[in-house]
Amino acid sequence: MRLACITVPLFPLAARLRSEPDLKGEAVVIVEGNGNAARVVAASRRAREKGVRAGMTLPQARALLPGLTARGRDRESERAAQEALLEVADGFSPRVEDAGEGVVYIDLVGTPGLAVAPAYSRPADAPASGSAGCGLDRTPGPSRAPAPAARGSSPLGDSSRCDQGTEGSGDRIPDPVRAVGAGLAPAPPPLPMGEGRGEGKTSAEVRLGRDILSAVEKAGLPARIGLAASKLAARVAANLPDSPSVVPDGEEAEFLAPLPLERLAPEIEIAEILERWGIRSIGELARLPEGEVASRLGELGRELHATARGIDPRPLAPRVPPLVLTEGMDLEWPLATLEPFLFLGHAALERLVARLEAQALACTRLEIVLKLDPDGCDARAIRLPAPTRDAKTLLTLVRLELEAHPPGAPVAGFAFTAEPDQPRRAQLALFGPAALSPDRLATTIARLAALLGADRVGSPQAVDGHRPERFALARYAPPPPPDLAHPPKAGRGLLAVRVLRPPLPLDVIVEESGDRAIQPSSDREIPNPQSPVTKLSSLRLLSLKTAPDATPAISGSVKVSSGPWSMEEGWWLDGSGRGASSLPEGRRLAPREPKRSEGIRFAVEALRPSCEPLAQPDPEQAKATVPAARDYWDVELSDGGLYRIYRDRKDGAWFADGIYD
Amino acid sequence: MSAAQALALEQFLAGRGFVRKPGGLLSGLGAKISRASELPAASRETFATTVPGLDGLLAGGLPRGGCIELTARRSSGRFAVVLAALAAATSAGEATALVDLGDHLDPHEAQKAGVDLVRLLWVRPRHAKQAVAAAEMLLSAGFPLVVADFGLAPRGVRYLPDAAWVRLARAAETWGSALLIAAPWRLSGVAAQTVVTASRACPLWQGSGRAPRLLTGLSSRLTLEKDTRARSGLTESFTLRASEALVPLSPLHGDHAAITLRSRRVP
Repeated sequence: MRLACITVPLFPLAARLRSEPDLKGEAVVIVEGNGNAARVVAASRRAREKGVRAGMTLPQARALLPGLTARGRDRESERAAQEALLEVADGFSPRVEDAGEGVVYIDLVGTPGLAVAPAYSRPADAPASGSAGCGLDRTPGPSRAPAPAARGSSPLGDSSRCDQGTEGSGDRIPDPVRAVGAGLAPAPPPLPMGEGRGEGKTSAEVRLGRDILSAVEKAGLPARIGLAASKLAARVAANLPDSPSVVPDGEEAEFLAPLPLERLAPEIEIAEILERWGIRSIGELARLPEGEVASRLGELGRELHATARGIDPRPLAPRVPPLVLTEGMDLEWPLATLEPFLFLGHAALERLVARLEAQALACTRLEIVLKLDPDGCDARAIRLPAPTRDAKTLLTLVRLELEAHPPGAPVAGFAFTAEPDQPRRAQLALFGPAALSPDRLATTIARLAALLGADRVGSPQAVDGHRPERFALARYAPPPPPDLAHPPKAGRGLLAVRVLRPPLPLDVIVEESGDRAIQPSSDREIPNPQSPVTKLSSLRLLSLKTAPDATPAISGSVKVSSGPWSMEEGWWLDGSGRGASSLPEGRRLAPREPKRSEGIRFAVEALRPSCEPLAQPDPEQAKATVPAARDYWDVELSDGGLYRIYRDRKDGAWFADGIYD
Repeated sequence: MSAAQALALEQFLAGRGFVRKPGGLLSGLGAKISRASELPAASRETFATTVPGLDGLLAGGLPRGGCIELTARRSSGRFAVVLAALAAATSAGEATALVDLGDHLDPHEAQKAGVDLVRLLWVRPRHAKQAVAAAEMLLSAGFPLVVADFGLAPRGVRYLPDAAWVRLARAAETWGSALLIAAPWRLSGVAAQTVVTASRACPLWQGSGRAPRLLTGLSSRLTLEKDTRARSGLTESFTLRASEALVPLSPLHGDHAAITLRSRRVP
């Protein structure tokens, strides 16, 4: 494996300078935080020359350099700079890993420039290469100091090249040879940056590295590059001041050995222990016995030791290019009716679903773009309740959307774009009740919503209040079934009530006390709403019937009746719907019924496709916000039915709102 | 061995005094020939409805993979049985669906009956065709229990072909779901595996004469009209208690009002 690592030193500053080129050459710092607590994240060369360092507060930095220009950290500029870096890398290899913060790895395997180059031949004085870990037991070869001429000859090798004020002081690495600690055998430095160090694969890699650096610079970013066989070695090589740095295959351990231990960024506790042991360089750590290190420092120490020997098992994780799942076609003849369009659209949706299935994905949002005749475009989107791969469901939603909102002109072409998402999955229980398949459930709910309307499918919710007809719907999301099956609870054996929505108007024949008169309720004088209930209790219900066209029809003489049972909402409110003035302002009670319409609106919003307008609460719900005052009776009619009827105190009208069943 | 040979052997063994099962062809000697009616019924998994009378008639409850039709006129306890079945299934952790053609469900009443509302999918079709289509979709989605209540006067049911009910029953069988069709009259024709009728409802009132009355419950009778596995004509009676009733139905029921269902089998 051959990898290239591109790093942009002081990435926040480099991204900012890319957006504001006028600041190049100025004393600039990038700060994070607000006010006096803002801390310097990165500083340009001119600022660093005056002693400004990362971690200082802004007042401290300004005390050192009064004319300092400070800029806040700009995440959007950094995102754009990272994208630009990735685009450059995409030009050299299809396999690119986005490591974030100005770091990108490129897979060089199969790169044409390297493939045609002759095989790398090891110099005669170079140590024999072996596995990454064998450098510990091997007698190091003679020191190979980098050729000054070669460094100087590289047009990109000078550190000032990439400094548009962004070279980090911490990135300047001491010469590898000089960095080797006392008592350590000198290790070979990174292989040369110029042509003077031989031909072959290395020189081809150096040329490739220069090409990459040149392309990155054209994108407005100063960068360094390192080429090696592992990500760790490539990253460390990229942080060296001379760029490009090439680490030959199999010589990662020798390359890392002279470098200070901080390059591996060990944990603080481990770093302190190693410092107490006198371990300063990576090579010193690598020479320690692995077992002893592991027994004293644990798993983290063992991993650090392996890293010090150049072992980096992390594979390249290439970024996946965003999927564009679009299917459509241009039509030879514009279509003015829906059915032919759906015929063609069904085929396109099936192709789209097949592509989704091949990627193990599902559609969570469907965008429809219609090319209109003679010109114009109609774009709309349908959001699904849950990801689905069912073409019939998608087609039904498209049909409903186009029926509800026709494009207004013949369609000359169309395109369906699916926004992919992972289909829902659930773990099936081994001993408990089987859970519903989330995918199938979502598809079914979407089809039911398309068939019946989104406000007619959902989970019922009990709403606070006193009206029997109140209800709310919520999105159906059942909790997972229990792990173990258990028997059902014992039944309560309660008589149920079928609610009649809306309540059925009734014509009721009553007999008043004293057998004074018998008259239909509609003709009867409306009693005073404020009259006591005891007056109503003197009424005897004789018969009742609904209108002839009412469904269900109710008609018969009353055999037994029980009542009245009074129900009055909002008795604490005055006529305008406000709280009674006797209550303190902060303690006035509000009617609880409006929650019903809120619940319905929530449910509709959760289930409906996004293109549909919000469902308006129906007039019955709006009426439900008015406090009700009713007197209820339970009646048994001659037809054998048991009904719950009530008389509205406001207008004296009679209704049936339930049947005991 | 042909049937004629088997019969001859049976007669021979009977003459020798070997034990013979009543109605069986052969017994003893490891005989493997038996009458088809004596084959043991395949064990079936059921959903208990917790209505003792109904569970008794259905040999344990609503069978998975079966289609049960419950017909009853209004005020016969049909909706209470529906809610009891939903309550039993949801209390066991099963997901259930109710196709409510008449839009009659009161979530408060359902909660009182013990239905776990978060496990209940409530579908409110406008006419019978939508109800049947919705029930089939729900069966295909894998709901273990689907209840289709056709309300008091289902609209458009006369235009449904018989094949629609057969298709529903097949869907229930294919997906291993229990389908309960609750209707005011017979709808499913030959498709239903079992048909139960609730009739002879009798409201229970407290108080007499000029005293104020109080509805305390309802008693009804379930009759097994059709069953492919059992003899039809069995009846069970059951009693439902009004939730607002302040007094128990009778001293026999004691204060354990939750179990007020009394069951009496009438052959």
